Amino acid sequence: MKKKISPMTRKSFVTYGLLLIVFIAVEIMMNTGNISSMLKGLLVPVCVYSILAVSLNLTVGILGELSLGQAGFMCIGAYSSAIFSNLVKDTITQPLIRFPLAIIIGGICAALFGILIGIPVLRLRGDYLAIVTLAFGEIIKNVFAALYIGYDSTGLHFSLKSQGDLGLGADGKMIINGALGISGTPNDSTFEIAAAILFITLIIAYNFVNSRTGRAVMSIRDNRIAAESVGINITKYKLITFGLTAFLAGVAGVLYSHNFYSLQASKFDYNMSILVLVFVVLGGIGSIRGSVIAAVVLTMLPEYLRSINNYRMLFYAVILIVMMICTSNATIRNFFVHNFEKLKGLIFKNKSKTVKEAE
Amino acid sequence: MALLEVKKLGISFGGLRAVDEFSIKIEKGELYGLIGPNGAGKTTIFNLLTGVYKPTDGSILLDGVDITGKSTIQINRAGIARTFQNIRLFHNLSVIDNVKVGLHNHYKYSAGTGVFRLPKYFRTEKEMNKKALELLKVFDLDGEAYLPASGLPYGKQRKLEIARALATEPKLLLLDEPAAGMNPNETAGLMDTILTVRDEFGVTVLLIEHDMFLVSGICEKLTVLNFGQLLCEGKTGDVLSNPEVIKAYLGE
Ligand SMILES: Nc1ncnc2c1ncn2[C@@H]1O[C@H](COP(=O)(O)OP(=O)(O)OP(=O)(O)O)[C@@H](O)[C@H]1O
Ligand SMILES: [Mg+2]
Repeated sequence: MKKKISPMTRKSFVTYGLLLIVFIAVEIMMNTGNISSMLKGLLVPVCVYSILAVSLNLTVGILGELSLGQAGFMCIGAYSSAIFSNLVKDTITQPLIRFPLAIIIGGICAALFGILIGIPVLRLRGDYLAIVTLAFGEIIKNVFAALYIGYDSTGLHFSLKSQGDLGLGADGKMIINGALGISGTPNDSTFEIAAAILFITLIIAYNFVNSRTGRAVMSIRDNRIAAESVGINITKYKLITFGLTAFLAGVAGVLYSHNFYSLQASKFDYNMSILVLVFVVLGGIGSIRGSVIAAVVLTMLPEYLRSINNYRMLFYAVILIVMMICTSNATIRNFFVHNFEKLKGLIFKNKSKTVKEAE
Repeated sequence: MALLEVKKLGISFGGLRAVDEFSIKIEKGELYGLIGPNGAGKTTIFNLLTGVYKPTDGSILLDGVDITGKSTIQINRAGIARTFQNIRLFHNLSVIDNVKVGLHNHYKYSAGTGVFRLPKYFRTEKEMNKKALELLKVFDLDGEAYLPASGLPYGKQRKLEIARALATEPKLLLLDEPAAGMNPNETAGLMDTILTVRDEFGVTVLLIEHDMFLVSGICEKLTVLNFGQLLCEGKTGDVLSNPEVIKAYLGE
C-alpha cells in the first residue's frame, strides 16, 4: 500500500513550494537587474504584511476570535527592537548577529503584551474582544507617540513630556523623539531575511494547526462546550494562540522598523489592523495560503495602480469587491473549483481513468 | 462503594425549580436509564453532573471523591464524559481529529514539540492515530476517518460523539438521547454498541432516552423524573409497569 500523505501536509508543502518558486524568481530578477525600483521597495513590506496576515489568521481563523490589535503588537515589536538596535549598533556591527537578536526581542516583547492583555480580554467574546483589542492598539500607538528616549554616557533617559525633559548630556543621542518617531535604526531588513522569516512563519503556522495544540484550539472554535466536556482548557489554548499571534506580529514589526531609516508610531493606527483583517477575510478565513496570496496581491496592487492615478482607488475597490464575491459566494467558488477539476481531469485523463477502474 | 452517588441535588433558574432533591446511586458496571417526560429536567441533571451548571443544593460523589461544584474540565479528568442531546461535534475537523481531541489529556506533547516537529511529536501522533482508529472501529467509523465530521449522516454523528467521549477514558459515560433521530435498525445497532462499550471498556453508563424499545432492551435499572423530582426508581421491569410512571407519561 502507498503511504498516505495527510491533506494538511500536502497543503503546506504546496504553499512552501509556491513561495520558493516566487523567491527564486525574484532573486533571479534582482541579480540580472530586471527589477523596477518600485517592486524592489515593495519586497520587504509584502513579506511583512504576509506575516501579519498569517499571524492574524491564527486568531481569527483557527481560534475563531476577532482581534483588531494587530497594529499594536506590531508597534511594540517595531519599537522595542529599534531601541535595541540603536543601542547596540556601535558595539555589535555585524547585522547577522544583531538582527536575529532584534527579531527575538521584538517578538518576545509583543508576545508578553499579548499574553498580558489576553488574560483579561479573552474572557470577552465576539464584538467585545474586537473593541478592546482595537482600543489597546490605539493606546499603544499613542503612548509610543508621546515617548522620548535618549542615551548618553550616564545611561538611558526616558520622558513622556519633551525632548528637553530628558536632560541628556553633551554626548547624548535621541532614539525615540515623540511623535517624530525613531530614527537612525540600521537598515537590517533585506528581502532574503524577510522571505526567510515568512517561510519560518508559514512552517510555524502549519505545524501549529496540525498538532495537538492546534486541534485543541480548533475544537474550541467549533464547539466550546464540547471542548470543555472532553477536558480542553479553554483559557490556556486561547492564550497560547493569542500569544503566538502577537509574537509573529511583533516579528513583522521588527522587519518593518528595520526597513526604514525613520518611523513614526502613527503608522501603526487602526487602519493597519483593519487592512490586515481585510487580507485574512479575502484570502479566506482559516486559509493560511490564502492569507499570503491576499497580502501579496493587495499590497502590490495600489502601487501598480499609481500609473492610472485618478482611478486608482476605484480599481482597488472594484478588485476588493470581486475578490470578496469570489471567495465568499459558494456558487461562484464552486464554479471555479469545478472548472479547475475539469481542467485537471483533462490533463491527467489517463491517470484518473485507471483510478476509477480500480474502485 | 457506588461509582456515582448523588444526594439531594437541586438547581433553580429564576423562579423555576428545574431539579429538586434528586438522588441516585449507580454501581460500577451498571447500565442505568434516566427517563421522564419532556422538560422533566433530565438534561439539566447531566449539566449538573458535568459542571456545566453549579448545583444550588446537594452533593455529587464519583468513586468516593466529592466533585460538587468542580469545573467541567476537572470533572472530565475525574472520569465523567458525556454526549449531547443536540449533537456537538467539532464539525470542521475530520472524524479522526474529533476523537484525537478526546485523547488530548492522555497523549501529551508540548506546543513547542508540535511546532518544531521534534521526535516526540511523530511518536505521540502515531500512537494517537492508532488509538483513535481502534476506537472508530468499534463504532464502524474507521472507513470515514478522514472525512469532515459535518459530512457524516446523523446516526453516525451520534456514534462519533460517543467515540469522542470514550477517548477521554471515563469511568462514567453519560449519553443524552443517543437514539434520537435514528430508525429502528440503527437503534438496534446502537444498543449492541452500547453493550459492547460497557463490556469491553468497562465503563458505567447512564443514559437518557425516550425510546422505550432501547430502554427496556438494555437498561438494567431506571430512575424516572417528573417536574424535576424523582418519581420512582428500581429494576427496569418493575419501573415500567408502575402505574404512577404510566400516568406521568400518558398524562391524566
Ligand atoms: N439554562 C436554563 N435556563 C432556564 N431554564 C432552563 C435552563 N436549562 C433548562 N431549563 C428549564 O429546565 C427544565 C428542564 O429542562 P431539561 O432540558 O433538563 O429537560 P429534559 O428532561 O431534558 O427534556 P427533554 O426530554 O425535552 O430533553 C425546562 O423547563 C427548561 O426550560
Ligand atoms: Mg433533554
